[in-house]
Amino acid sequence: MNERNGYVALVLVSHSAAIAEGVAELVSQVAGPDVSILTAGGGPDGTLGTDGGRVLEALRTASEGAGGVVLMDLGSSILSVRAALGELSSEQRERLAVVDAPLVEGAVAAGVTASTGATRDETALAATQARAAAKF
Amino acid sequence: MQQPSSDIGAERLICLPGDVALHARPAGLFVRAAAGFAADVIVSANGRDANAKSILEILALGAEGGAELRITASGDDAAAAADRLADLVAELR
Repeated sequence: MNERNGYVALVLVSHSAAIAEGVAELVSQVAGPDVSILTAGGGPDGTLGTDGGRVLEALRTASEGAGGVVLMDLGSSILSVRAALGELSSEQRERLAVVDAPLVEGAVAAGVTASTGATRDETALAATQARAAAKF
Repeated sequence: MQQPSSDIGAERLICLPGDVALHARPAGLFVRAAAGFAADVIVSANGRDANAKSILEILALGAEGGAELRITASGDDAAAAADRLADLVAELR
């Protein structure tokens, strides 16, 4: 889904396309159809890794409208996220919140929060609070 | 004497349909509905409490099909919240 609406978007960055797409599918189920979920998973040739072009495209789309919250699988993904942020205008950067959160749990929490019409900051907070959430 | 509105509470007991666990899509529907109310809402199941507006807490309940849920709401629209959420649970597929 590349069109933006009034809801905060999520960007899922992962070294694995399967992980990013799987998490997106799960979040979609839980959060409903209104939240745009941009995925940037896997390297340029489909193997494990990150693809700077895909990350940039996802961030660019998410930076429109209500803004976006960016989640990553591993800390090393921050390198490609930072590189992509450097390619954006300051206005675009300001609309994105890169959060330190577990990918699956943070995306689920953020997705549901965003689906209620929450702000970018509220959505980002939901993602980071997932760090402390017990599973059972 | 009128009670302060924060003292107004409502409680509903409802069972999940036998074949519907409170996971993924149903949990999402529930939490998104709860978010629409001002009331604070707690859901209890299996001896555990969850904030109805927190998807991760609701998922952590691990409420399986047929499980009894106690929905406790407090605040201005507590009755409406408890009723709406109980109805939603009953209609889950």
